[in-house]
Amino acid sequence: MRRAPALTGSLALTRLLHLSSPALPVGAFAYSRGLEWVAAAGLTPDAAAVRDWILGLLDRSLSRLDAPVLCRLHAAFASGDTAKAAAWNDFLYASRETHEARLEDRQTGQALAKLLAGLGMAEAEAFRSDPRATFACLFALAAARWEIRSCDACAGYLFSWAENQLAAALKLGCLGQSAGQRILHEAGGLIPDAVACGAALADEDIGSLAPGQAMASALHETLETRLFRS
Amino acid sequence: MQQTPGGGWRARIELGLRADGQRAVLAKNEHAGPLVVQKPFYPEGADLAHIYLVHPPGGVCGGDELAVGLDLGPCAKALATTPAAGKFYRSAGEPARVDQHFRVGAGASLEWLPQETIVYDGAVAALATRVELTPGACFFGWEIICLGLAASNKPFVHGEFRQRLEIWQDARPLLIENLRCRAGDRSLIAPWGLSGHTVAATFVCTLGAPGGPEPFRQAALAAAREAVSPFTRDNLVAACLCDGLLVCRLHGRDSAAAKKAFIAAWRALRPLTLGRLAHPPRIWAT
Repeated sequence: MRRAPALTGSLALTRLLHLSSPALPVGAFAYSRGLEWVAAAGLTPDAAAVRDWILGLLDRSLSRLDAPVLCRLHAAFASGDTAKAAAWNDFLYASRETHEARLEDRQTGQALAKLLAGLGMAEAEAFRSDPRATFACLFALAAARWEIRSCDACAGYLFSWAENQLAAALKLGCLGQSAGQRILHEAGGLIPDAVACGAALADEDIGSLAPGQAMASALHETLETRLFRS
Repeated sequence: MQQTPGGGWRARIELGLRADGQRAVLAKNEHAGPLVVQKPFYPEGADLAHIYLVHPPGGVCGGDELAVGLDLGPCAKALATTPAAGKFYRSAGEPARVDQHFRVGAGASLEWLPQETIVYDGAVAALATRVELTPGACFFGWEIICLGLAASNKPFVHGEFRQRLEIWQDARPLLIENLRCRAGDRSLIAPWGLSGHTVAATFVCTLGAPGGPEPFRQAALAAAREAVSPFTRDNLVAACLCDGLLVCRLHGRDSAAAKKAFIAAWRALRPLTLGRLAHPPRIWAT
């Protein structure tokens, strides 16, 4: 008996929820992306400052680098253009401006490659030995193969980034649970536009515009006490 | 000289150096418009040329387009600098552009150590630097950007400045960095942006092929951190390794301090990476 299509749950959605889940075992929780240094320097004394950090990075870094590159990686994988996918992956890796940012991408990227290979995605296997394979590259590969739309994949990627940053802020004692949820809700509302902005950027305009995050990430390396790896 | 559609001046220089035995020879020096290099100097021996890139008008206005190409053949060695600060002046609307393109061959070394770039209030300008390294090439470089003239009470309150730095090795990107400063924008004051600093500077230095000896890189990193440590009181300064590159960034309020910090890092690293003591170009002393 055929079920009416309108009543069928979306397989692409369950796959996207899986990929964007904070429980995805890639170790994302171990990275604060400079936020730990910012907190230690006293720059995030309250929820308003955390909100500015997250929404600022969403607007000037994630939507200008990760989102447009993820879209292009998705298109490259969907059309089987592995050379183009490799070039965009290299671009993203080179745009990680610090040692810790690169380490994070390498470790989470390889963890996702291993996980996808374990789920039967043979193509992911090759990335397990590529030292520059980024998390976004593997995320885009999975999204393309699981027929998740590019814009939805981007939205999921950005949301899981925001959720991870807020979890780090919470652990660092910068804000409380309910203030964190309000910021996450607000970020969620801005993500569709961030995705559209990223998709519309010309290739030559792609790049992170957050020098303070690169500085924080590099300074984090020599912070005396650290909970996070970045 | 040619005029650009925006009513500015267009200037271009193409330089080529090659190693001729033990001598670094300026084999190509072609320019159009006001951008010149005179005879190279050899203060530390014939194998390494010191080159002064001179822009006689002394500054870039709206609509101007400057292009600098510098090509080092295999084993050629050069240190290039500028006699005065680069200046982007107020624009009537048309953007100004400076494009720098450096190619460094196998066994060659290029040190690009220009004076700071001052972005005057009202400037609309872009500075793009692309470095292409052949495996086995050495590169030192910095760019020091100063927004407005805080000391003379001429802050950057109008205009927009964009910067892009790209370093490629063997046709793959090693580092891509962007800066975009729009006067009045929150990125100038936010902690993820410039936190109110008016000087943003980046220093890079190659440390050999990917997968090269880790103890050497860690020693270079420690030397760079030690060298810039006197500057951490008044500036944010951080050095890190990005695979085969050492990258040191400084956010502050005084471009002279940024230059001193980077010269200190260069002095510390040059013996390690080029096997030569630092030999500051004579023009820095004047």
